[in-house]
Amino acid sequence: MAHYKILGQDPYWMNFYGLMILTLIEVLAVGADLDSFAESVGTEEKVITLWILTIIAIPKFIMIAAIFMHLYGDEDSGILTMTALFPAFFIIIMVLFVGLTHPDAASSLPAWCRPGTYGL
Amino acid sequence: MSDGEHHPSAWGPHDWSHGAPHNSWSPFILSMGVAIFLFSLGAAYEWGEFQGWGSLPLIFVGLGVISFSLLVWWRQDMSFGMHGEVFEPKSTGTPFQNIDIRKVAMWMFLMSEMMVFTSLFSTYMRYRLGIPNCKTVFHSGEWVEGTAVTCFEPAGHLIASSWFHIAPGAINTFALIISSFTIVQALRYAKKKDIDEDVRRRKVTRYLGTTWFLAILFLTLKMIEWFLGFPLPEFLHEFNHGDSEIKSLYAEGYLINADSYEHKAFDTDYIEKHPEDYSIPEESALYAMMEAGTHPGGKMMANIQVSATTFYVTTGTHGAHVLGGIIGLTYMTLKAAKGGYTPDNAVSIEYFGLYWHFVDLVWVLVFPFFYLY
Repeated sequence: MAHYKILGQDPYWMNFYGLMILTLIEVLAVGADLDSFAESVGTEEKVITLWILTIIAIPKFIMIAAIFMHLYGDEDSGILTMTALFPAFFIIIMVLFVGLTHPDAASSLPAWCRPGTYGL
Repeated sequence: MSDGEHHPSAWGPHDWSHGAPHNSWSPFILSMGVAIFLFSLGAAYEWGEFQGWGSLPLIFVGLGVISFSLLVWWRQDMSFGMHGEVFEPKSTGTPFQNIDIRKVAMWMFLMSEMMVFTSLFSTYMRYRLGIPNCKTVFHSGEWVEGTAVTCFEPAGHLIASSWFHIAPGAINTFALIISSFTIVQALRYAKKKDIDEDVRRRKVTRYLGTTWFLAILFLTLKMIEWFLGFPLPEFLHEFNHGDSEIKSLYAEGYLINADSYEHKAFDTDYIEKHPEDYSIPEESALYAMMEAGTHPGGKMMANIQVSATTFYVTTGTHGAHVLGGIIGLTYMTLKAAKGGYTPDNAVSIEYFGLYWHFVDLVWVLVFPFFYLY
């Protein structure tokens, strides 16, 4: 169990309160009318919503992993964090090279890195 | 029993007092049972259509193997720690020296789980970015009534269309976060040395029971959202475009075999009659075409099989993990009620908690990107 405090309080309760508040903001952000703000920054409302959701998801993810899953503050936290981060390499490959590729990527790549052109 | 009489049974309770390790064939048999069950269940359906009772015997074989393995596992583990005897093997090699082997194994398992969900997320991203959005296609005017166009219709367009639609998913999000907290509380009380044994037993049972209840609530709301929908009291109808119910995704036609999906947001006649609900942007090609009389309007029909499949497979895989958690929680709550968790024997709650927090972590990403966006 945790041997530290957050703002002088029990870390699990503090984490719980934080997660509830962030989730509430998340749900409210989807219902909020962000049209005028989106127009003022020259983008669509959906893009603003996506940014808000992503920015909120990151601390939520870290709070659960670090405090509830004890990847922070325990004797074995360091090595277990390294273990948990090990798949990050493969995750980055999958997200960047599979998830974010475009159907036209093969034909829109520069000539030097298209199949059949290896500079030989 | 003397050392010479030490004969641990493969199918019965382990002889914990002799330091018997946690070796068990049950998880392996369980995974075989799950594989048989899922393959035969998959064979029973093709594109959402029932293919007959041919694979029914195998479905029952799978369920039988699952039940058998759980029964054996139950018998082997229920006696563990009941009488104060505890044996937790430690890792001896680098880099996990002195860390419980089961803890390391749980993290290895969670790593493989991360890969499973990453593949599902990257599939979703790939298709969402690669296939034109249905709204974009509709506004482009490049469609004619009666002919289906292939496009990506995110479930979020239906779910995030009103507060009532979001409600089950939003409640589920809070339920999972609360359950993550209750499992931590169960572990905390199981490890507390300065409380009465009976108080500890009751506290741990209550917190595990609450986690179990929240998990059941999660799947119930998931069923409501997918298949059942829910009625609204009359005074709320006006806030729901006059409709008396919140339709399920199934009733909306959001299905993996939906090759002719229709929605009022893609119906020019409906939009004309209900401008307060939807609109066609004046700068869109469809608006210009309709003004010029070069587009007849009508209902756009869409093939949304890819978008519906990515939604159901990802959220369904997550739901299956919740179901697995419910099975584990049922057992653990019963064991807790018998006083099976003590300060020296609370690691099972800790390791199950890791799994449960992981399920929560996945939902932290699934909810915004599949439900809200």
